Amino acid sequence: MRYYLFLLITFCSMAAQAEKLRIHVWHQMIYGHRQVLAEVLKEFEKQNPDITVQATYRETEELRSGYQSAAMGGSGPELVYGPSDQIGPFATMGIIRPLDDVLGADYFKQFDPLAAPTYNGKHFAIGDAVGNHLMLIYNKKLLSTPPKNSDELIEMGKKATIDKNGDGRVDQWGLVFNYTEPFFFAPFIPAFGEDFIKNDVQPNLNTPALANTFQFILDLRDKYKIIPKECDYETANALFKDGKAAMLINGDWSWGDYKEAKVDFGIARIPMISGTGKWPASLVGTKGYSLNVNMKSPKHQEAAVKLLMYLTSTPVQLQFAEKVGILPSNLDARDSDIVKNNPLLKISADIMEVGHPLPIVPEVRAIWDSLRIQYQKVLAGSLTPQAGAQGAQVLAEKQIAEMNEVLKPDAGAYVLKAIFALVILGGLWMSRKSLVAFIKGFQGPNRFAYYMMLPAFIGIFAVIVYPFFYNIAISFSNFSLRTFQDWSLVGFTHYVNAFSDPKFYSLFLKTVIWTVVNVFFHVTLGVFLAVIINQVMPFQGFWRALLIIPWAVPQYITALTWRAMFNQEYGPINIVLQKFLHLSPIQWLSQPTTAFAACIITNVWLGFPFMMIVALGGLQSISHSLYEAARLDGATSWQRFRHITWPLLMPVMVPAALLGSIWTFNNLNVIWLVSNSGEPGDQTHILVSYVYKAAFNLYRYGYAAAVSVIIFLILVIWGLGMLKSQYQKETK
Amino acid sequence: MVKRLLAWVSILLFAVFSLYPIVYVISVSLRGDNAFQTQSLEIVGPNSTLKNFVSLFTETDFLLWLKNSLIISGVTTFAGVALASCSAYALSRYRFRGRNMMLFSLLTTQMFPATMLMLPFFIILSQLHLIDSFWGLFIIYSSTALPFCIWQMKAYYDTIPRELEEAALLDGCSRWMIFTKIILPVSSPALVITALFSFMSSWSEYVIAAVVLQDPQLYTLPLGLRSFQASLATQWGLYAAGALIVSIPVLILFISISRYLVSGLTMGSVKG
Repeated sequence: MRYYLFLLITFCSMAAQAEKLRIHVWHQMIYGHRQVLAEVLKEFEKQNPDITVQATYRETEELRSGYQSAAMGGSGPELVYGPSDQIGPFATMGIIRPLDDVLGADYFKQFDPLAAPTYNGKHFAIGDAVGNHLMLIYNKKLLSTPPKNSDELIEMGKKATIDKNGDGRVDQWGLVFNYTEPFFFAPFIPAFGEDFIKNDVQPNLNTPALANTFQFILDLRDKYKIIPKECDYETANALFKDGKAAMLINGDWSWGDYKEAKVDFGIARIPMISGTGKWPASLVGTKGYSLNVNMKSPKHQEAAVKLLMYLTSTPVQLQFAEKVGILPSNLDARDSDIVKNNPLLKISADIMEVGHPLPIVPEVRAIWDSLRIQYQKVLAGSLTPQAGAQGAQVLAEKQIAEMNEVLKPDAGAYVLKAIFALVILGGLWMSRKSLVAFIKGFQGPNRFAYYMMLPAFIGIFAVIVYPFFYNIAISFSNFSLRTFQDWSLVGFTHYVNAFSDPKFYSLFLKTVIWTVVNVFFHVTLGVFLAVIINQVMPFQGFWRALLIIPWAVPQYITALTWRAMFNQEYGPINIVLQKFLHLSPIQWLSQPTTAFAACIITNVWLGFPFMMIVALGGLQSISHSLYEAARLDGATSWQRFRHITWPLLMPVMVPAALLGSIWTFNNLNVIWLVSNSGEPGDQTHILVSYVYKAAFNLYRYGYAAAVSVIIFLILVIWGLGMLKSQYQKETK
Repeated sequence: MVKRLLAWVSILLFAVFSLYPIVYVISVSLRGDNAFQTQSLEIVGPNSTLKNFVSLFTETDFLLWLKNSLIISGVTTFAGVALASCSAYALSRYRFRGRNMMLFSLLTTQMFPATMLMLPFFIILSQLHLIDSFWGLFIIYSSTALPFCIWQMKAYYDTIPRELEEAALLDGCSRWMIFTKIILPVSSPALVITALFSFMSSWSEYVIAAVVLQDPQLYTLPLGLRSFQASLATQWGLYAAGALIVSIPVLILFISISRYLVSGLTMGSVKG
């Protein structure tokens, strides 16, 4: 009791604290930058004693989705900080406000134009720094001068790629970078001829330039062998920091990291492509602050604007420039000695000269996504570079059309509303007796049961049933990027689209395979281990506890751990394969089949303990006399299993397997985290992860809701079928 | 004899399979700065250090997250057990209109992709001004684990003979007294499991917490751990150390009640 009182008091005191004007800032600054931010905010609070600032770090994707839902719910932080490419979607959704009227038109003149991007003729953000661009970073210990062109890059790369101990494994790479991510490969496209976006909006992907770029990366990997077969950001970063890579392509944000790791590094432009004589063009962008449309009060807005002006002011920018070495966006700040005497910033400015501004329209997201999908397929060898480029264009156009689509209510909308009305009225009419009985039940002889159930069902209704119907409504609506604030019911379009899309059927098939394989292994392994523990092992409790461990570890930790274990370079799985079994390493995560297999292995690990425990319980309830009788009759151990254990276990295992398959069918965590949201090339998705991507990455809320309703219906029909057949078996 | 040997071999193999990822996390947490990058399979290498654990407690808000997580999971577990045990009892002992319908609809709640409920959740919570407060999470967490817990409890109650209660009724006990004095004490295995599930669902939940809790002062452990994992520069050492500490309470819970787990999870289905 005292404990609950204590809780209550803690809550009350929490509520009482919120007296001062509190301004929230969400940002996605990396660790070193966060520390500077904390310092400058402390200074701001000193200058403005009536304001406290709450800075919250969010990972980029989460910041995006979190801010969207917060702003839609009418709340969210007063200021949001992020890369300029999120301005497009946010402005389109109407969740950040134009700054022109609060700051005045002249205010923007003090900044580099790159840091004050306009969208539809208005300013929606002010950048505190310019850059965020890619460059060649080289380890001065391994390479005295950086390569100037691609021929030199290949030559130097070959020299620097060394197998030091002669075990057939490369110990030092010529070049590393996160090359499966389109952002890191985009600079090369214009260097091969043409840019990949026309007029800031249209995808320009079906070009020889893109195909040649694909080929170039493939050659680096397969022909010249100067980059690792699999290389994500973490791996590249780690190799470079360890002095195991001579060159790296990375952005200005990473300098601090390498300084801290005491790497003696230099920076240079990404080498010119020898064949065309053009420089790769890094995308130069800004990260900046935007203002939420929802403010609690005019006072909050005033304070938020004050904070925004402070954070982009010259002194603050200089502090960032000095401590973490980023190029200020404020033109005055550029003239200061801190910037002028910084050799890195000087070269960086030279690199930026050949850069292109990062486009900020929401369409870019669809272009990146299509590029990523096709590019990863090319890398995995399932598409030729030409076919990849062609496919990317088609896909990008399709995704842009889907993203921008604003559905108009058609005849279906009226039918729908009529159906809704009929269902509600009909439901009420049909259940009027039950309803009356239900209400009367609170006075009737069963009233105890009613009161016992009421709290739980209120909870379930509020948290599951009501949101569920809300979702059904969304599935018939045009809720998407362009109708974020005012969506309406439009009809059956999303359902028609889903069912007429061949992708849906292949995803369904994959989901079924995923479920069947997983549940099969869960149940067989579970029963197998339970039988062994129950019949053979001494110290049953010990083995039981040992094998339960995978179940006890939180899923998100498991998934990320396994992802690291599957790493091509550093993952223990490949190291064991090579060292002890003398097999060649498997590129687990960059091939669609092995990536899917990796997800399955992870999920099998997660799921078998549950089935084992259930099976153990079942086994322990089977009486020993049955086995003794069988033994007397001379039954072999297989016969005993077949005729006693199995049939008596069935009633326990079937409901568990049923529930297990529902959970597996809907398991988003494992697929999403192990395959890094469906990589390579969107080929590891199952239905739920596809739905998640459609909703939260591509803004197709209506469509995603429709597919999730379909998933639900599939499971209900299947579940009913299972229950029915089970019921019939039992009553026979 | 051969069979015995095979059994030992396979169980040892599975022990390795189930333990290795944990060992791997331990080994990452013990490495210095460049955490997950090594090609050696050593668990404790020459450079191993406890630095990550020290900085976890001294340089981060880990203790604050731990406190928040304990409060949230504690309240959720208590509410979950109370709600599930009451309603499951009604479903097990009484026959009334809509009972089958209710049982089935409890099962169907498991069939909807949970992530799609997030958007509506958020809209509702922000209308009720429950964003950035533990109350929102209490409500969501204790209710989402309910369907499974109710099924579980009901299956267990079904195995308790009714004669027990009938005798007490004749002696003049009230319904409520029968429930608290007779039924609950004999249902401890099922209660423990319900508690475990409620606890687990809130202890390791991440997606909903990320949307509901926006103030870092209110962060739970999963949210805190996530902040070590920037999109471009993960602090693997800290993350691994934190992940280990997050898993330990659940591990201890699981291992200490694994005896109950066996009977609680299957009792109902065997006899029911």
